[in-house]
Amino acid sequence: MSAPAAAHGIPHAAALAAWRGRAPAPPRALALPAPELLERFHPDRRPGAMVPLRVGASAGLPCRAELAALLQSDALVEDEDIAGAPLLDADVLVIGGGGAGCVAALTAARAGARVLLATKLRLGDSNTVMAEGGIQAAMGPEDSLQRHFEDTLRAGHFAADKALVAALVSDGPGVIRWLIQEGMGFDLAEGSDRMGGNLLRRKPGGATAARLLSYRDFTGLEMMRALREAVLLAPGITLLERHPALELLTDDRGRCAGAVLHELARGRPVLARAGATVLATGGAGRLHVAGFPTSNHYGATADGLVLAYRLGAALREVDSFQYHPTGIAWPPRMAGQLVSEAARASGAALVNGLGERFVDELDTRDVVAAAILREIAEGRGVARDGQAGVFLDTPGLERAKPGILGRSLVTLTHLAHRAGLDAAAEPFLVRPTLHYQNGGIAIGPDGWSGVPGLLCAGEVTGGLHGRNRMMGNALLELVAFGRRAGAAAAADARAERPRNIGLTHLADWRRALIAQGLPLARKAPLVFPPYGNFDMAKDRGRAA
Amino acid sequence: MREDGLEGGAGVRLMFDGHAIEAEAGASLLQAWTAAGLPLTENVGCMGQGVCGACRVLVRREGERLADTALACETPAEEGMQVSFLDHFPARRPHAYDLRALTDSWTALDQIDAVFPEAKNCRHCSGCDRACPKGIEVQRMVNLAAGGEAFAAAALFDHCVMCNLCVAACPEHIDPAHLGQFVRRMSAALTLRPGDLIARLREIERGGQPIDPEAPGANPPPGP
Repeated sequence: MSAPAAAHGIPHAAALAAWRGRAPAPPRALALPAPELLERFHPDRRPGAMVPLRVGASAGLPCRAELAALLQSDALVEDEDIAGAPLLDADVLVIGGGGAGCVAALTAARAGARVLLATKLRLGDSNTVMAEGGIQAAMGPEDSLQRHFEDTLRAGHFAADKALVAALVSDGPGVIRWLIQEGMGFDLAEGSDRMGGNLLRRKPGGATAARLLSYRDFTGLEMMRALREAVLLAPGITLLERHPALELLTDDRGRCAGAVLHELARGRPVLARAGATVLATGGAGRLHVAGFPTSNHYGATADGLVLAYRLGAALREVDSFQYHPTGIAWPPRMAGQLVSEAARASGAALVNGLGERFVDELDTRDVVAAAILREIAEGRGVARDGQAGVFLDTPGLERAKPGILGRSLVTLTHLAHRAGLDAAAEPFLVRPTLHYQNGGIAIGPDGWSGVPGLLCAGEVTGGLHGRNRMMGNALLELVAFGRRAGAAAAADARAERPRNIGLTHLADWRRALIAQGLPLARKAPLVFPPYGNFDMAKDRGRAA
Repeated sequence: MREDGLEGGAGVRLMFDGHAIEAEAGASLLQAWTAAGLPLTENVGCMGQGVCGACRVLVRREGERLADTALACETPAEEGMQVSFLDHFPARRPHAYDLRALTDSWTALDQIDAVFPEAKNCRHCSGCDRACPKGIEVQRMVNLAAGGEAFAAAALFDHCVMCNLCVAACPEHIDPAHLGQFVRRMSAALTLRPGDLIARLREIERGGQPIDPEAPGANPPPGP
């Protein structure tokens, strides 16, 4: 793997001795101003990482090169592929079976819409279920919606859309109530009663108040369990598992009219026609940009960005990705898996190969990740079996707060066990892992993309997080904007009936690719990562 | 190192869904499958975190007579293993309810009984306990739920990852995974009423939490 794995550094045994000798290492502020640190060590700032988009609604926008190649590619389907394909009809089509898709489907169905929910893998297989740390909502007496608003803007380097962020933080407390009504549990402050007590709150990195609510350290699992049952039981939702979307459909007025799905079980196309379509396809970690391992689920291949962009939707901040500071660096077979920020939020320190701390562990994720990459690049990392990283001092945390690993960091303890170490005795070796797509499809506060008939919700959207996302705002976003998009889709679908559906947008798209000298040979969406050993272009013809 | 986290090289030999494959020592069953060049389009989700329950497998180890159920992402490949994916399938009998209609906690036991009538028929075969890859006391949860002890039952299902292996294992069609979620969801929806949340919601409804988009903190600090 490329740069971050460069394995020069202090050998593991010597680093362990240094860590023991200095424990507990005193806090140390960053030795470099944050802007300079980011400029020199953040993976997005490396020369050649970005290219300007050459076709489409956001031509000229800088974009991660790996993503641009997919965005500027040709469709997998032709008119002849969909002639005679089975046709399913609905008011609202939701593409994506993670958190945002489930919330949008539930909201639309409860508003009276007939909903089709199509998902590539199985309902619930998503980044949502993997979220550990928690969900933000301004709850404390010292906290306010305004503070949540300002913290989110500042953490995103003031690049976010203020109207979207205002909508996000204003929905926060209502979202928590909605989730409890769906049967999701939340941690309570110690000694608090279930009725009238207080929620447990912690401070997420970059925040000015304790605002992170959680369910142990598997908040996303607890959320997804409730949402999944709710969707399975909701009248009015038809679920299509193993049905990835290959292309969006248009009607004769250029309005999005549904999607061409691929039924994996039979290897054939199915047309889903709908008055409104909600894209909730999630992120792009499985593109492994800049050669990083990822904490994302198997299906995170940027499919939704590709489909929406080809139909004319605008994108934003597609040159900004989040590298979570603490991915597993060793053992290599677990590289990229996440050690939750809950560990640092609870007080675990980061320690380099000399046994020293080097950054405020609760600074924003981009700063902490760049600081770790700097330690490694400058030879102060820890080297083990060809991998380089820094220590996450879980034994120090356990000493300071006895019992915390077994009680509230259950997932972390389980992770250590699988890595073959005792988190209470030996520190994790960590380095940044590709975690989140900060940008995405530009939307308005109701989830509308610029394309009529097409709404978006969840990680696929851009504008909420600016150039850096805070911990806990992703789970909030997917519920807040899943509800907004689901409601808007249901309201709009009834007024619209798509006519003469087809792939009319592809002729213009191909002309634009040819005019720019871009190859038509590359097909997208990717659907599965290359190591999934599956060629969608070949499978398409299987049933023919 | 490659993007799938493996180094390559020789290791253990096993049979996986009829394919004789070789895996690097220490690789998970899921990594062994993809490293062997086999197509992966289902039975996969979180790919290693062990939280999504998608990669269900039946595993028989060398020298053992019986096969166990497991999750392929967190089970290391071993020499002589015989493995097959267990496709995901939904429960055959619907246990339908509308959580928002269950408002009377005095009748919780009646409600459990009405939605999951099979729960009281548990024949204590412990098939569900053996099937669970997370070591949950599934059968005890079923018995507690059937007895109306909703909180105790819900607590036992804290670590459930929705793999539904207990659903497949139950000869009485109790659908333990869904019963577990039912008592968990009912416990939260009927009894969790945080005071700080309620106070903040009231404040917002009364217009007490305005957002000023032009406040000094909502804009970049002035340059040096």
